Amino acid sequence: MNIKKLTLLALFTTASLAVYVIESAIPPLVPIPGIKLGLANIVTLVLLRRFSARDALLVLFCRIFLSALLFGQALSLLYSLAGGMASLAVMAGVMALLQKKLLFLTGASGGLAHNLGQLFTAWIITATPGVLAYLPFLVLSGIITGIFTGFCAHFLDRYLPS
Amino acid sequence: MNKNSGYKKSAVLLTVLLILLCLFSLAALLKPAEKEASYTADIYQNGILIMSIPLNEDTETRLFTITGENGCVNEVEVRPGSIGIRSADCPDKLCVRQGFISDSRLPITCLPNRLVIQLRPVPDSRETEPVPDIVTY
Repeated sequence: MNIKKLTLLALFTTASLAVYVIESAIPPLVPIPGIKLGLANIVTLVLLRRFSARDALLVLFCRIFLSALLFGQALSLLYSLAGGMASLAVMAGVMALLQKKLLFLTGASGGLAHNLGQLFTAWIITATPGVLAYLPFLVLSGIITGIFTGFCAHFLDRYLPS
Repeated sequence: MNKNSGYKKSAVLLTVLLILLCLFSLAALLKPAEKEASYTADIYQNGILIMSIPLNEDTETRLFTITGENGCVNEVEVRPGSIGIRSADCPDKLCVRQGFISDSRLPITCLPNRLVIQLRPVPDSRETEPVPDIVTY
């Protein structure tokens, strides 16, 4: 990894951390656990398009651990990891399948995978199948917010110098 | 050209899949709840049923607290026919904002305190209860 790339990835990590903090300052609109915009996903999408899944994973890990260290509890780390890993894996696949085009579709798949991963974790942690009642809410919100972050990433990618 | 149509095909497939998922979810959300005569509130902590409270019109309003293993506290209020979390010491207070529930569609969940309150329909007891018959009179 050369210095230029290292610096860029560090910059992206900082940006995603900042976006994450700003988002957590927004009060939740719907009183259902797990529904949020997922703005930090914009950075993951841009990285997947410009660099590689490995670099996106690196930045994602750094962002999740830093945010847990700075603001979170141990439990939110677990949810972030599950959601982040699931969405990154799915988005890397979809991105390759769509040849890096139609970023909003990749975003929607990622949002969906993120929410499914978190719901699965919630199921394991609370050991209560009752939480699966949130499934339709989380499927819908994951797809909708994913389309939104996908469009954000598309325009960000266009205006960022290459 | 061939490569181009390959990505379009997967894009269409993916879009159809996502739209179907949205439709299924919407259908599940819009399905009206079957209103049962009465419910029992099951309170789970870490997946273990710690309390069952019958909820009906005669249930008296009362408040009690549930303390989690890390000292997290949820204050639960029982009202006639409904149950909800009054206050909690978790950071986001989502469980409080979920309000009072009176049917089995959605549970109340407090993820930080690993608490789930779920309503379970109770078969109408009036039919199974022994009814005073004419012999008694």
